[in-house]
Amino acid sequence: MDEKFDCIIVGAGVAGLAAAMTLARNNMKFLLIEKGEFPGSKNVSGGVLWGSDLAKLVPNYWEEDAGWDRFINHRRLTFMDDKSTFSVDFKSSHFNETPYTGVVVLRSKFDRWLADKVQEAIEESDFAMDSFIAPNILVEEVLLENGKAVGIRTGDEKFFADSVIIAEGVNNLLTRQVGLQDDYVPADHILTGIKEVIRFDQDVLENRFQLRGKSGMSNEFVGFATDGVEGGGFLYTNKDSVSIGLVLGLKDLREKGKEPYEILNTFKKHPAIADMIHGGKVVEYSAHVVSSGDKRIMPKKLYKDGLLICGEAANLLMNAGKAIQGMDYAMRSGIIAAETIVKAKKAENYGEEKMKQYQNTLDDSYVMKDINNFQDAVHLLHDPVMTQKMPNLICDFGRNFFSIKNEPTQKARTMFGESVKKHSSYLELMKLGWKGSRAL
Amino acid sequence: MSTVNSSLLKLNQLQEINPKKEQLITMKLLTLPEQLGLVSYRNQAKSEIKPHIVVDTDICNSVCPHKCTTYVCPAKCYTMDEQGQVHFQVEDCIECGTCMYACDQGAVSWEFPDPEIGRGVTWNYG
Repeated sequence: MDEKFDCIIVGAGVAGLAAAMTLARNNMKFLLIEKGEFPGSKNVSGGVLWGSDLAKLVPNYWEEDAGWDRFINHRRLTFMDDKSTFSVDFKSSHFNETPYTGVVVLRSKFDRWLADKVQEAIEESDFAMDSFIAPNILVEEVLLENGKAVGIRTGDEKFFADSVIIAEGVNNLLTRQVGLQDDYVPADHILTGIKEVIRFDQDVLENRFQLRGKSGMSNEFVGFATDGVEGGGFLYTNKDSVSIGLVLGLKDLREKGKEPYEILNTFKKHPAIADMIHGGKVVEYSAHVVSSGDKRIMPKKLYKDGLLICGEAANLLMNAGKAIQGMDYAMRSGIIAAETIVKAKKAENYGEEKMKQYQNTLDDSYVMKDINNFQDAVHLLHDPVMTQKMPNLICDFGRNFFSIKNEPTQKARTMFGESVKKHSSYLELMKLGWKGSRAL
Repeated sequence: MSTVNSSLLKLNQLQEINPKKEQLITMKLLTLPEQLGLVSYRNQAKSEIKPHIVVDTDICNSVCPHKCTTYVCPAKCYTMDEQGQVHFQVEDCIECGTCMYACDQGAVSWEFPDPEIGRGVTWNYG
């Protein structure tokens, strides 16, 4: 491995693997380095991989019974108070058609599978013996010469390349080291994700959540789920388990003095959640920091001479109320980063101007367009009126509306008015409606 | 007689349809040590490991107004003793990164664990 690579990719998560696949298909010589025992072994996600980009990387992936767990054809958004849930529920056989609009994945399995696909692509490329996926190696430094990235250092060993793609994930130490992110990132727009994987007999799971074949459900929760802390909850059906967890605003968690695992237990005790998970066995507890989608913490510049930042290392993740999108952003940004490197090689120019094309292309893609367009929605989702008062109001109204008593019934309008007065005010609701209509 | 039989049959069917009693009991919640007991840590056979996080607890114990790591850390690597002093151990760390952002006092130096001589995790599910 004395010879120089066209590119070194740091991190074999979704972004790094997407970049590697693209490089392999374009006959590039690269080194993909992963600090974990195997690709995926250090990764945690909710998680749903949204959109159809996976089919670009692995055509007809759905014909394989590996890697991914279930496709989503059932979506549910649930507002929650301490005793009730009020859901918006959408299920459609439209979503049964390939390419699927979302697949549930468990990263330790999914990333490893995707890495096998990348290895196959390497073997079909011109550099079958010269491109590598190298796990168990921690990159400690990006080597810079006159501001240009020329390789990486791990321990005493150095590897050299014409370009470096940093796909190290949200805890982006190398991105900080090369000066594209502040040394200290405050907790303001950062969340802590916490999750359990709960296992069931597959029959029990399929009957309980009305799943057939490989269909699956995603359920997001707002309100009581987070016990007064900004954020939300989620539940996704895997093959024979559910992933259930919370994302909690870290600054708010610090200010409210709460412990994340206690909030998770409170969430699990909620009657509606208890009904979903009883009889299951917890097989893993995990946690990981998550970006919020707030542009204020994103690195302004995602490139340097010979260097690109992609995936969540660039804080490319957003929850605008419809879905938590991160892995699809990672995939697309990894693909664009690799395409930029391919063009740079052709032009024999890895300079800053050339690298800038990555950011331009990303800005024109749905990733940055959505992040830019939905900033108001991101802010709104972290507004306590939205995360606390609204769920209480909606559940209070639901309880009145669906209670049938043997006495004269009020009109829904009157019931709603009473719930508004109890938990909020019409003025607050109008403000929220105004913000909401602009945000979404 | 046939009526009795058919109603007996109905009763049997009902019993089958009704969930068993134990299933109605809320799922047992795990304590944090039980949750962490499910985590696969690396290099567990090694007696000496190189900590990937170094905490200057002098800062926690002198100037920090909130000592938030003692409650925001999802693996409770930070604890507070009866005198209100903060202590840190790296063994239970699941590499989530929370403390790196939560500590606004500059007490936490955070790196990724060394694959050979560090701790850290290998997720089975992720």
